[in-house]
Order: sequence, then C-alpha cells, then structure tokens
Amino acid sequence: MDTTTSNVIVKRIVENIGYDRRHLIRILQEIQREYGYLPRETLEEVSRILHIPLSDVLTVATFYHQFTLESPGLFTIWVCMGTACHLKGNAENYDYLRTILGLKEGEKTTKDKLFTVEKARCFGCCSLAPVIVVTGPGIRDLYGYVTPRDINKIIAKYRSLGLKKLKER
Amino acid sequence: MPYIRGDYSLVKVYIDGIEVEVPPSYTILQAVNKIGVKIPTLCYFGEIYREASCRLCLVELENGKLVPACAYPIQDNLKVYTNTPRVRMTRRVVLELILAIHRIRCQSCPRKGGFCELLKLCNEYGVEGIPVCAECPLMGNDCFLTKGIPCLGPLTVAGCNAQCIIEGNACMGCRGPVTRRDVVEEAFKLYLKYNIPMSEVLSRMKMFWSSSPFYDHLTSLFSQFSLKYQGERHG
Amino acid sequence: MSSWTLLDRCCNTCWHSIDYPCRNYIRCRIEGPLCHDVSECRDKRLRRLKEIKYGKYGFKIKVPMASCTIAAGSKEVYKAVIDEVKSRGIRADISITGCMGLCFIDPWIELIKEGMPPAIYANVKPEDIPKIINEYLNGSVSSAFALRHRTGKAKDEDKVPLLEEIPAWGKQVRWVSRNCGIVNPESLEEYIAYGGYRGLERALKMKPEEVIEEVKKAGLRGRGGAGFPTWLKWKICRDQVSDVKYVIANADEGDPGAFMNRLLAESDPFRIIEGLTIAAYAIGAKQGFIFVRVEKPLMAERLSKAVEEARKYGLLGDNILGKGFSFNIEVILSAGAFVCGEETAMIAAIEGRTSPRQRPPYPATKGLWGKPTIINNVETLAHVSLILAEGWKEFAKYGTEKSKGTKMFCVTGAVKYTGAYEVPIGTTIKTLVEEIAGGVKEGRKIKAVQIGGPSGGCIPADLLDIPIDYHTLQSAGAIMGSGGIVVIDDTSCMVDVARYFTAFTVVESCGKCIPCRVGMKILYDIMTRITEGKGTEEDLEILEKLGNIVKNASLCALGGTAPNPILSTLRYFKDEYLAHIRDKKCPAKVCRKLIEYVIDESKCIGCGTCYRICSASAITKTPQGKYRIDPKKCIRCGQCYSTCPVNAIYKR
Repeated sequence: MDTTTSNVIVKRIVENIGYDRRHLIRILQEIQREYGYLPRETLEEVSRILHIPLSDVLTVATFYHQFTLESPGLFTIWVCMGTACHLKGNAENYDYLRTILGLKEGEKTTKDKLFTVEKARCFGCCSLAPVIVVTGPGIRDLYGYVTPRDINKIIAKYRSLGLKKLKER
Repeated sequence: MPYIRGDYSLVKVYIDGIEVEVPPSYTILQAVNKIGVKIPTLCYFGEIYREASCRLCLVELENGKLVPACAYPIQDNLKVYTNTPRVRMTRRVVLELILAIHRIRCQSCPRKGGFCELLKLCNEYGVEGIPVCAECPLMGNDCFLTKGIPCLGPLTVAGCNAQCIIEGNACMGCRGPVTRRDVVEEAFKLYLKYNIPMSEVLSRMKMFWSSSPFYDHLTSLFSQFSLKYQGERHG
Repeated sequence: MSSWTLLDRCCNTCWHSIDYPCRNYIRCRIEGPLCHDVSECRDKRLRRLKEIKYGKYGFKIKVPMASCTIAAGSKEVYKAVIDEVKSRGIRADISITGCMGLCFIDPWIELIKEGMPPAIYANVKPEDIPKIINEYLNGSVSSAFALRHRTGKAKDEDKVPLLEEIPAWGKQVRWVSRNCGIVNPESLEEYIAYGGYRGLERALKMKPEEVIEEVKKAGLRGRGGAGFPTWLKWKICRDQVSDVKYVIANADEGDPGAFMNRLLAESDPFRIIEGLTIAAYAIGAKQGFIFVRVEKPLMAERLSKAVEEARKYGLLGDNILGKGFSFNIEVILSAGAFVCGEETAMIAAIEGRTSPRQRPPYPATKGLWGKPTIINNVETLAHVSLILAEGWKEFAKYGTEKSKGTKMFCVTGAVKYTGAYEVPIGTTIKTLVEEIAGGVKEGRKIKAVQIGGPSGGCIPADLLDIPIDYHTLQSAGAIMGSGGIVVIDDTSCMVDVARYFTAFTVVESCGKCIPCRVGMKILYDIMTRITEGKGTEEDLEILEKLGNIVKNASLCALGGTAPNPILSTLRYFKDEYLAHIRDKKCPAKVCRKLIEYVIDESKCIGCGTCYRICSASAITKTPQGKYRIDPKKCIRCGQCYSTCPVNAIYKR
C-alpha cells in the first residue's frame, strides 16, 4: 500500500471530522468507507496524528463488529443472526452458503476475492425472516424469506455481476 | 451527603459486623485494609487500575448482592460481608475460570519462587491444577531433576508446599496427578531437558497412580508427547 | 396555493422569529392566530390543516417508507404510484409515511379522499396500483384491507372492516405509536399539525422540578428493559452540581427480534427529539446525543434530518421558544456492538473508547466525560413527550399498579401476524400472542415464548396467562427487556434456542471481566456438546451452577443476564435436555448432529431434483432408479427436504 496517498486520505478525513479522540470511531468508519476495510498503515497514521497509542486505536478497531482489518471480497454477504431469522433457518443458510462457496474453517473470503461471508446482527426486518443482505460497490440489497435455492440464485447473480466488474477494471 | 468533596467527617461502615470509621471517599477495599481483613485481588493496582475486571474481590452486601470491593464506594451505614460461603464459592469459581484459560508453565515462569499471586490463591481456595514445581523453589529447594533424580513434582497437584522435597525425598505424587494437557506437556519437556529416563517416570506413575481414574489419560498423553518430541512411542 | 406552511408567520402582525421566539408558537400553529383576531389568518391556518390531511386537491396517497416496507418493495410501489398519477393526470398528493407496525401487510398504501373513507390496501404490488386508484376514485373500496373510519358513502363499504375491528389493531392502545403510518416522518409541519411539540411548549412553561414531578406522577418506568423509574433518574441527575450535563437517547436497539425503536425513529422521529429536549430541560443539559445502531442506517438518516429541521425552526439551538433554554443534538452512529446498549458502554463509545465500567458511580452522577449524564431509551422519551403534552393522568390511565402506561412489543417468530404492537402493561402474553398476533400457524403447536432477547428467558406455553409486567416476568425467569417477543413452536428445539442466545452473548461479550468472558464460553461449549449428543447429566449441574455464578459475578448487565436463556430453559424444558443427553435424540428434530435426512423410497419418483440440488454430493442413485442420501456426506442443510416435489424426504 502506498503510504503517501493513504496518509493524505487519512489526513483529509481527520481534518473533516476533528482532531479529537472522541471522533475516533467516526474516523475509522470513514476510512473503512474509503477502502472497504481498515489497512494497517491507515491505523498507524491515525495513531500518529491523533496522538493516541496504536494499541488504543487497535482496541477500538477490533472491538466493534463493523470494522474489519482484512481486505474483503467484492461483495459482502451478510447473513442475519437475529432470533427470528435463526428460527426460520438462517443457521442452515449460513452453513450452506459457506459450503457452496468452498470456505473452510476460519476463512471468510473466497479465493477469487469475489465474496466475503459475514454474520450480521439484527437488521430489524424480522417479519421478512430469514434475511440476507448483500453489500458491494454502490449496492445494498436486502433479500427476505431466503431459502438455500435462493442462495444459489443470489450467488449466480452477483458472480456474473462481479466478473463483469472485474473485467472492467 | 457523603459525596461532597471537602467533607472531612468520617462515616461508619460494618465489615463482617465490625464497626469501622472511614473517610467517605473510601472504597470497601480501603476500609477493609484499615482493619487488616484480607480480600484477594488480582487486577487491582491502586489508582492506576480500579476497573474491577477480575471479580475476585467480590464481597456480599446485606441484600445479597455481590459487589467488587476495589471499586465500590462506601456509604454511611454500609454492611459488608467478606467471607460468607457464597463469597468463598464465587471466588473459587472465578479462580477456576482463570485457570481454565491460563497457560500453566510454573516451572519456567518468572513468577516462580513466591511471586505468583494466582498460585497462592489457588492453594488457599483449594483450586487444583498447578504442579508442585510452582511451590518448590518458594521453599528454597534445589531441584532434584537437575541432579538427574526422577521426581513426580511436575506432574503432581500443588498444595503441600513441597514438604517431601524439603525433607530430601523426591515427590511421590500423593496429592494426585495434574490432568491438563499443557501442564503434562511442560512436565514431559522438563524430563527430556534433564535427561530423566522416561521409563523411570512411567514406572513411578504406575506405582502411585495406577488406581487413579486419570491414569489412562496421563499415559495416553505421554504416548502422544513421546511421539511428538522423540519420534517414537513409549510405554 | 402558495407554499405557505403552518410553520410560517400568518401575517406581519406576528412577530415570531428564531432569534425572538414567541412562547405560544406551537399552540398558535393549530389554534392561532392567538395574538390578533383576523379571520383571514384563521382561515389560512384551517385551509392548510385540511391540505395536510387531504392534500392540495382533496386526494392524498400515502406510501410507507420504513426499512421493513422498503424491504418488502414499497419503493417500487411508490414509483408505480407516481407513474400512474402522472400518466393519467390525476390531481393527487403523494406523500411518504412511516410504518404502522402491521408487518404482515407490507407493503401497504393508504388512499384518502374528502368524502370517502380513508382506505388501506395490503400487500400491494406495483401492477395493482392502477386498479386500486381507479376503483377508489370511482367511489369503491372493495379491494381495501381496512378503513380508518366510515363515511357511509363508498361502494362496498360494509364489506370492508374498520381497522379497529381487526384484532391485530383494535386490541392495541396506540399511545406512543399514534403517528406511525399517519404522518410524514420528514415533515416537522405535519408533526406539529398532529399535536407535536405541545409537550415541550408546556414543559417550558413549567419549572424543571415541576416537569420531573409530572413524570413522577405518571409513574413512567424506563422502556429500555430495566424499568427504572424515569423521574428518579432525572432527579438524581438534576441534583448533581455541575457546569455541564448531558442527555443521551439510546437508539441502539440491539436485541435481535426487536424493532420498535427503529419503527418509532423512522416513522415519528420528531417525537423522540421532543422527548430528549424535555429531558434536557428537566435536568439542565445543553448538549444531547442520539446513539444509533449502524445496522439501521435509515433510522440514523431520519433522526439526523429531523434534528436539522428542528434546528431550522428554532426548536433546537439557542433560546428555544423564548425560555432562555438552549439545547443541541448530535446524532452518533455506533460501530456495531451489542454491549453498547448498556449505559456505560454507550458512554465509552461516544468517548472513543470501548468497554463498560463498574457502576456505581452511575452515569447520572458521573457519566459522559465524567459529567452527570442521563441515558433514556427512545420509547421512554416518546412517552415523555406525550405525558407533558396530555398530562400524567392520560398516561396513567393504562397499565398496572406498579407499572403504568403502555409499551410496544415486537412479536416475531412462528406467529401468523408478525408486527410491532402497543398494549397496556399488564396485558397477558396470551392476548398479545394469540389474539393480536394471531397465534401460531396452522398445524403447529406453540411451545414457548422468548421475552427479552438474549438477556431474557423462555416462558412455556402453559404459563402464557402471565400479565406482562416487570416483576411478574422476573419471577417467571424472564425479563421485560426492550420488548422483543419471539414465539417458538414445536418445530424448534429449546436446547438449540438456548445455545443460539449463548452464542450471541459469547460473541458480544466485551471481554473485560472473567465470569462473562470465560464462563459464557464454557457454557457455550457445554451447550454445543449437548446438541451434538455428547452431553452428560453432570453437565446440567455445571450449567446451573456456573450460570448462576456468571449472573451474580459479572461486571455489567450483559454478563448479568446472559445465562438467562440457559437457566430458564433448564427450568421449564429439562426433558428436552435429558432427551439430548440420555437418548441422544433431538425431539424437535433440529440439532443437526442428531438428525438424519432420509428419502422414503416408496414415495420417491426418481426425478433427481434432490440429486441435482445437493451441494455436498451426498445423494446417489440406486439400481432401482430411486435416490438415497449418504448420512456421512450429508451436511443437513435441508435443501432436498424443502425442494422434493412429492415430500418424500423426512427427518429422523
């Protein structure tokens, strides 16, 4: 990662929000919005310009679920782990999704870097249980009443979309 | 109101029924220290750390609630009980929970020889799992293993203060074997380090612990470790 | 018609402005003009009020835009409505509104025309729009789901029920949720037109101590779960001597299965802001925060917009309504942690740190940045705005001796009519689950009801006559919590449910104290072993003992309530545990390691659907042309089970 550019971006973000410790979470949220995850170099830069020990920055970055320190796939598939969704079978959906994407124990992202599978906390749309949300560049699509069959369709849809995007790059 | 700064009047609190007068800014722990009653703590570090994370210093209030002594501010007429059966049981379980995630390597730990608060507390509350090796240096003993003499200390549950070794006899495991994999593994490596013949160790184990329900578990662990560290199975 | 709104001056006699506000500004919006008697001004106001109700042309179409309705497709419906109105040149006002809480009719729309009964249409698809609008404009309501009131002038009116005749609606008492599904959540004008901000206006005419007294008489208890008397919390904070105090609105609804805060914030955000402003006035705070969960972005957006609007019209900022009281609100997004719903953890998140703190000292004495802080749940604040607007007696009309008022509950799970329902405290669980939410689906039996989310417990089916109240639920082994009620039928395994909640708490534990961090993990491992058929009876003793220790020794309420699902299921459903342990069977056929999927070859027609669908390649063809599942390869995803066209696959 080119730290000169990343440092400039971090500085811009901190300038917009504020040079105070209390803005740390918001700053990290902006960085994650920019990169899709929190690259280590950006955390070091935040620690430097806010005068907060790196260990404190990492404490916050690893404590909150929204943040990820690993580079994600093009699309992130969030499987809701809410009660209603669990009762309607999202636990099976989660395992099924991991199986057909070929993810092994401890892995979150597919080898072709197209998909990352994450567990989400409740979205608050319990009437549509089980719920799966797919986020990606410029998209946030919510699917309700998801069955394993729907999962096949969802993967196929985003796979073809993703391959097109990757070709464009 | 006891919270106003600059109020120098003392308040009365009752520790295990004993009346104590303390400044209103005190915590239960400070009040208790004033009369010499001991409450175990692990994470407490004065003004630097008073976050009540370890939960070992929990004491019981009149209404049955358990509160951490190191952080709970005293109030006028507060009644606190530091040694009820419930308090002792809670302390025991907390110690067991700590041990459950703790990597026991007393033989090579820098806190060996009397600097380990956890060991002290485990012995006091009868929580088992730490080997005799943790206590031996505390007693000023020379280690038999360094002299090539097979001693069951690394595999035996602590709590006896290494009496036999003080008297000049290698440990005979009378308090029973440790069962945790990581502790047994450390013991195995220790025996290897000092070139103690495994057959000696195994025959002693058989002699003293063959009737123990954990004997099979121990011998199977030994086989696994001998495969791992020596490339062949023993016994 | 000019673009004059209720919020503007009626004429030049009115001297109100943001810098020099009039104390009666709010009341004057609807009853005005108050300082001069001019019929044109009066008529102007009345005309505008009518416009708000029926639209500029006397015909209004309301489309709900809340997270749940959008997910059900209301954006497409909205577009279809716009297209239809434009293409046919219909003179209509199209407005967005919030969610009614009747999730089972999402997406819905409402048509209102002067002279016609306001009609609600359920489960609307974009292609239905032309027909619905056409029918309504021709004077008929035959496809409507319900009517808000009757006029006697529409065709087929007698065939359509009134909304209050439907049990799911009629048995509710819509006190805080009164505006949800009626007002446009982005319009301050509509909020005021429907009676909003009367509470703040009245509160500012009282002394702060009198405001606290009013809340005390009402008997309002915190709606976030603990049920602590709101007035007492405020009083303690008010009595603290400090130059700076803070108020925080807890919109971090983290309980899975609870969405009433989301509903309130997306459908009636100004109410929450009004409540927070009143709270700030009562305790003497000048800065407030609304802490919103990052997983619910629309909630944050609506609240932020509402804050902006309120500021624009002087209801936030300096010298609000001329009382010399200044107050500002900042909306803060969390970064995803269930523990942030706990007061001290929320304060830590705003400060840019992590982890809860030992209490005492309580936030009311020493909170955000060491200053006295009040944290109230969003629903509590909504109640506050109405208590001040209508008086404590109106609130205290409902509820029980110890807990007055109404509460919103979200009933989800295995019920027919999922939704957010508001009922008086003291209503029995049975009424909520069976009469309002319609009970379990056909062919199923209700087994238990989980109340209070991961901090709560399960109440078995035979105890459903318990009135919902703080102490009654506690003695039954559950807690009121934020109001999430999940109905569990006989297709769910109670051991699996308890394990599910324990898994949740293990992940969400902040890790600061030992009992919760280590103890919950051990409990989870034991529960996993039990669901895999490797449990022993000794495990049940450990669950009980360790569960109680974690409950009593943890630092914060997360650990303090985390073992509740296990302890309550052990109390009422021990037989299911024993079945897993002794017989190595899961009676509900849920725990995957204990069940098998089997193809009944006598029913199998050899179509091969299951074979093609199986992602684990566990299905093979037999020489007779039927199919067979290899239990060793099967991952128990249930795909084949749900797709077999002749239902030849069963679980055992």
